[in-house]
Amino acid sequence: MTESVSKLIEELKRLGGRVEEVKDREVYLVVGRDNLRSLAKALYSTGAYLKTCAGVDERQVQGVLSIYYIFGLDELGVDVVLRVPVTEDDAKIPTIVLEVPAADWCELEARDMVGVEITGRPVRRLVLPEDWPEGIHPLRKDFDYSARPPRRFRSELPEEVGVPLGPYHPALHEPEYFELYVDGEKVVDVVYRGFHVHRGIEKLAESPRFTYKQIPFLAERICGICGFVHSSCYVMAVERAAGIEVPERAEFIRSIVLEVERLHSHLLWLGVAAHLLGYDVGFMHAWRIREHVMVLAEYLTGSRKTYGINIIGGVRRDLNVDKLDRILKTLAKVREEFVKLVEVMLSVPQIKLRASGTGILSRSEARALSVVGPVARASGLYRDIRKDYPYFAYREVSFKVPLYTEGDNLARVLVRVEEVLESIEIIKQLVDKLPGGPVAVESWDVPPYRRAVAAIEAPRGEDVHFIITGVGKPYRWRVRAPTYQNIPALRAMLRGASLADAPLTIASIDPCFSCTDRLVVYDLRTGSRRVLRIAGGVSACPL
Amino acid sequence: MDLAKALKAIRRSIWVYHLNSGSCNACDIEVLDALTPYFDVERFGIKLVGSPRHADVVLFTGPVTRESLPKVVRALKAMPRPRLLLVLGSCGVGGGIWWDTYATIGGFSKLEEILREQGVEVDRVVYVPGCPVRPEAIIYGILVLLGLAEQKVREVEVHAPGG
Repeated sequence: MTESVSKLIEELKRLGGRVEEVKDREVYLVVGRDNLRSLAKALYSTGAYLKTCAGVDERQVQGVLSIYYIFGLDELGVDVVLRVPVTEDDAKIPTIVLEVPAADWCELEARDMVGVEITGRPVRRLVLPEDWPEGIHPLRKDFDYSARPPRRFRSELPEEVGVPLGPYHPALHEPEYFELYVDGEKVVDVVYRGFHVHRGIEKLAESPRFTYKQIPFLAERICGICGFVHSSCYVMAVERAAGIEVPERAEFIRSIVLEVERLHSHLLWLGVAAHLLGYDVGFMHAWRIREHVMVLAEYLTGSRKTYGINIIGGVRRDLNVDKLDRILKTLAKVREEFVKLVEVMLSVPQIKLRASGTGILSRSEARALSVVGPVARASGLYRDIRKDYPYFAYREVSFKVPLYTEGDNLARVLVRVEEVLESIEIIKQLVDKLPGGPVAVESWDVPPYRRAVAAIEAPRGEDVHFIITGVGKPYRWRVRAPTYQNIPALRAMLRGASLADAPLTIASIDPCFSCTDRLVVYDLRTGSRRVLRIAGGVSACPL
Repeated sequence: MDLAKALKAIRRSIWVYHLNSGSCNACDIEVLDALTPYFDVERFGIKLVGSPRHADVVLFTGPVTRESLPKVVRALKAMPRPRLLLVLGSCGVGGGIWWDTYATIGGFSKLEEILREQGVEVDRVVYVPGCPVRPEAIIYGILVLLGLAEQKVREVEVHAPGG
């Protein structure tokens, strides 16, 4: 614990926090709800950002319902976790959105899922489906994970006249729904209606169907693009909570596969961005190059996606000389073709014109909303978990974190382009330094009621998993995917922008809804202004 | 309706619409993958369209989440007859790893009952399992759906001795 951290803890104690537990990377404090706002303000003003908050039903162990607020101090590499307990009869916690705007969604989620009322702000249903009955909170321990309350089936058409493109939009291939309110060609406001993909993952992990060993395979199915990130983050959280030492070779293998995943994800995104700009040649080429990476992933892990090699305490598959050789050969080919593609793509004048100066997110807005990943780095925020909280084998390699200050769509393209090249270098270094030894620990044991926060730099930004261990399976497992953090920033990016730029801007955060999947219903009336309702995107983009 | 005749009419130009009912993206990305140069199904006349009203075949993915259910039913209602469905991935086929959670209805077989209640008739369904489904399997599935390839898996009834 460094001196600056101790100083901060003293300050938090003075404001009414009580220290529960101090670990290498985390400090846990209990806070009464009356002191929450002042503590949150103090933390935010020292440069912390809100990673997420998590509602937990702790009635069985502590007799209370709690919300855990996880703040990250990326400059110090430490997380501060505030636990606010309340009794079931008086389950009310004041909002902290005024102090910490990034808490908007996760507060509402805790309200939906655990049933803690949030006071001092307008509330609405966020995660649960429209027809879900009031007063049933899935993450309460007395709710059966497979209970299905009766449905109210509505299939009549909405009253407004809409362009029938959403929520199924061919460019993003996931149900998502943005309502853009426009005045002529200018976007006035944006409403996101998502959470179509809420599948009840966190609850499922607590159900009798799952054990610690099986959850990596569940975690991998959170997202079909960055699934390995989720399974890695889950195993890291369990390993930290239980104090399991992972063999070095396993950490290297996990890092190599994580970077392979980043390559395929960024190439995928670059293709989609090119497509949205009307440059389908770039789309096709990016996906052609990506196919080399997919074949490599299958060769290394046995599967094109959902690799299934993470287990608690290590990995299931080792790398041999042939595989290492194949990695280097594939990377050389990918690099050569990728550099050529980017050179051609960025010299197309329309791409530059349409991407530069559109969808601007300023540095101060980026900080207030606690955005993560390439979106943060394109707005001048130096935030990369691989550097700030080094994990697995990232301490052993040197790499550059691309940083741009423009905050526009072009900056976000360039950040990802540079990251592809950096990833290739990282994998080369990892292959070169790969140590010998076993790839998994022989046995392990997870003591109950330990806590840990784990974070991994996913292709889209920081992925956070928070775990409270239980008997045989987690007591509470909270997943916060990067898109969850980045979508609220779209309002800032799109307001005042031209309608034609909206699809690219939405895509520029690389939204991944299956990760986020938790519904927003806004009641917005724009008075006498001409209101045009557009779902999904503007272009009719037939592929 | 004469299904065989209708199938014959579209077999060289198949317009597909991709319907994600809450899947994790992996199958959806493999659908896109099948359209891009490595697999390039456009050479068979398969083309992705942006509206179910234009679709010959719906590529159905996901375990059907509660939130997406009314929208999925509406999208399928909008589809012209014959309604041909290619159900992709473990989730679509049987709900996958989330088959019994509170937030899903558990795959296409459960959706079929709801469609019947709503009066939406489905003319032919082909299931393509896999987690995620491979692009090769998607292409094969379309061929089976249109009757261009024989289905290799058959239903066999096995009785235990004395049973």
